[in-house]
Amino acid sequence: MSRLCSGVTALTLFDLVIRSMRKNIKHYYLYFFALILSVVLYFVFATLQYDSAILELSGTNMGTAFQAAGILLLFIAGIFVVYANSIFLKRRSREIGLYQLIGLTKRVVARLLIVENILLGIGALIIGIAVGLLVSRVFLLLLMKLIGYESFIEVSFSVAAVVQTIVVFIGIFALTTVQMIVMVFRNTLLSLFNSDKAGEHPKKPKTGVSAAFGLLGLLLIGFGYWFSGRMLNELFFFNILIVLATVIAGTYLLFRVTISWLLFKVRSRKEGHLGLLNSLSLAPLMHRLKGNANSLTVITILSAMTLTMVAFSYAMYYETERETDIRMPFDFMFDNNEAQTNEIMGEMDQKGIGYQHGKVDMLVVPTMFEQGVFPGESFERPTAIISDKQLQAAGIDIVAPKDGSASYHDASSLSMFADSVDLPIKIEIQDEDRTTVEITEMGERNVINWSLFYGQLVVSDETYQSLKNKLSGMEGAKIEYIDGFHILEEKDQKTASAIFQQPKYTSSGPHVDYYSSYEESVQDNGLMIFIAGFLGLVFLISTGSILYFKQMTEAEQEKKSYATLRQLGFTGKEIMKGIIRKQVFVFGLPLAIGLLHSVFAMKAASFFFQSDILMPATLAMGVYTLIYTAFAFLTIGYYRKTVNAAL
Amino acid sequence: MTMLKNTKIDTTQKAKQTVLHAQNVRKSFGSRGNVQQVLKGIDLHVEEGEFVGIMGPSGAGKTTLLNVLATIDRATEGTILISGSDISRMKDAKLSAFRRDQLGFIFQDYNLLDTLTVKENILLPISLGKMKKKEAEAEFQSISSILGITELADKYPHEISGGQKQRTSAARALINKPSMVFADEPTGALDSKSASSLLGTLADVNQKREVTIMMVTHDPLASSYCSRVVFLKDGHIYSELYKGSKSRQAFFQEIMNVQAVLGGDSVDTL
Repeated sequence: MSRLCSGVTALTLFDLVIRSMRKNIKHYYLYFFALILSVVLYFVFATLQYDSAILELSGTNMGTAFQAAGILLLFIAGIFVVYANSIFLKRRSREIGLYQLIGLTKRVVARLLIVENILLGIGALIIGIAVGLLVSRVFLLLLMKLIGYESFIEVSFSVAAVVQTIVVFIGIFALTTVQMIVMVFRNTLLSLFNSDKAGEHPKKPKTGVSAAFGLLGLLLIGFGYWFSGRMLNELFFFNILIVLATVIAGTYLLFRVTISWLLFKVRSRKEGHLGLLNSLSLAPLMHRLKGNANSLTVITILSAMTLTMVAFSYAMYYETERETDIRMPFDFMFDNNEAQTNEIMGEMDQKGIGYQHGKVDMLVVPTMFEQGVFPGESFERPTAIISDKQLQAAGIDIVAPKDGSASYHDASSLSMFADSVDLPIKIEIQDEDRTTVEITEMGERNVINWSLFYGQLVVSDETYQSLKNKLSGMEGAKIEYIDGFHILEEKDQKTASAIFQQPKYTSSGPHVDYYSSYEESVQDNGLMIFIAGFLGLVFLISTGSILYFKQMTEAEQEKKSYATLRQLGFTGKEIMKGIIRKQVFVFGLPLAIGLLHSVFAMKAASFFFQSDILMPATLAMGVYTLIYTAFAFLTIGYYRKTVNAAL
Repeated sequence: MTMLKNTKIDTTQKAKQTVLHAQNVRKSFGSRGNVQQVLKGIDLHVEEGEFVGIMGPSGAGKTTLLNVLATIDRATEGTILISGSDISRMKDAKLSAFRRDQLGFIFQDYNLLDTLTVKENILLPISLGKMKKKEAEAEFQSISSILGITELADKYPHEISGGQKQRTSAARALINKPSMVFADEPTGALDSKSASSLLGTLADVNQKREVTIMMVTHDPLASSYCSRVVFLKDGHIYSELYKGSKSRQAFFQEIMNVQAVLGGDSVDTL
């Protein structure tokens, strides 16, 4: 003791650090755990980023995706650690005050905290990187599976990843150190001793103002939802910003005003007869709602974003095969090129690849849709008129509508409007007579590959012949043909694709074939879903942990109340009922609102997809809810321990 | 050990019912090898309407006795009957229900819930009971007017004084019409004026509502409000004093005298 008072030497300071760390393990483990977790996740991501197998595979778009995700991850890790540190410091403020009370100067206390922080940081880096090395293999396997890479893989120890992780976390530790210094120098002794008693006291809200702002919150969210379904026009990106701003502001008002106003109403109607359950849920919630509004808003918005991101990329992945299918009915095709067609048939015969070949004629004419089908100005566009009989002969399963009417196929552009069009509609050929053809069916898929950018109008063979006779002389009309191929055996697809992709073969549009398009989109979407899933997991773990940490602190603060209640004769079970009700609110509310937000976000985004995204969206939401619930159970478990230990 | 018997039994109280009957209550702490016996065989009867003070030097076992009698802690040995129920054999869950229905508590540091208003705090013990809202409201009004805190109903604990907090705590202890109220140093954190005012009210409630109260205190002035004072020393009952028809001043003097004999060895040296 005397050594302490007569000025602290470096050695005694170090002693003090070690001693205080050993005594406070309980307080430390939370912060330490948060540190380790952040290091592990960041290190895994960095390892994958530098993995040779991935570097080899990744094109430029993959590389940028990884980099963007890495920056995002850096921010999340930083915010998470800083947040955990602030909770940690708050819990220890009494201890920090005590050091000052026994005569340590603020400088010495700050030095003590910094030494501690460095020790914790080094420990977290070592453990985090070690654990990261073990689990990165699992993540790499998962990624490879998602992008359809099948050969043997091996995680190599990446020095670059280690260095990057260390650099990033030294930055984050510097941030927490600044936080600690500010905490020590800014706070008075008194506020340090009282900080665990802090927490606001619910005031009677000003009825008029609160009701107005509460309503405004709901209106803002409602408007955001309503507007999100009407974003498809020239100002699309501006509209997205409007929706984001209104929904975020609305959510904040909801937590800050609307809910406390509602709770206040409920409580004042009880006239003091609150009951045990409400005393343990309603009352403490109101007590802390003001301070929690920020974090609840952030958690809700993050949840909504994560869910939308994950569901969106999962839907893309889920749709990959279908997307390619509907855009490419042929494995590959040539347009107006008999020489190359014959050459490739020769090559395939030579290799023994079985195929079906069909030649399809098309009458290409300039057309316009009748007014009102497309939003805005109607525009002129070449459309290929095709006979269903010829398509059938080429192996495409299609029957044209009867009575001279047609079915229209364009998987790439019309899909956005297909749902909203009332059939039949008329398409007008730009000849002198303005011949019109009635469209009675919207085809879900193309009948020829998308590389020829024509609208595709399928009619019966008779109608085709008569239109051809009538229009082939008009200005701008062309007779074209394609040679479409189906590869009969799946095992030959890769070889056939390689043959087709030789530089000597060309197309007038993009030179694409089914097999390589499919592979490429599986790779792109697989990487995207991996990154989205990884970031989603990090978001989820951080937000869940933050709620958990906050509730742990609350449980500590309310320990005395539980002791009192136990003494008054309430059983642990009865107390837990009230606490569970509070947790349902604390975890359920941001989750429910986040889910609702994401439902509207996905609805707004669903025009990207041809098929229903209900399945992947539901699955993503289910998993998210499940992990979130796990955090809620962890929290309840912690409360149960606290309550049982209270008496 | 010298036992100073100083019992003057008021015969008019004999007809009353026994609320608490404790026999040979022992309590030890610690595990094998290092057992410390704190209560060494206590026999105690409390009758309906009594206001019993428990005094004694630090370490005499006052609070331990209160905790054991109040079912917060378990006795190592002995039987305790409260209103005829043997609490030493009850299971935990049943004990909780018993505390809620039959007992009231007043603590030194009030133990009010910060998040609840005065009224909500007071009504808490009957929140799981079957009392109707109207009935509960009437009960609240009557108790809060006796304790003079009706005006404070909608205030939060941080907005009121220590004395007012302790009155709230007392009202909470009384709301369920308990067979017995246990108070652990209720005036310990109060200034002398609030303390006497609270004790006056407790004595008043004790008389008017015939509530049985047991209070642990180290303050002779506080115990002078009691109808009987029990002195503990080293885990035994050392002596008892009855107030009878004496004035409070005279009773206070008597208590001081006993304490002077008692406290010589341990209290002053501390």
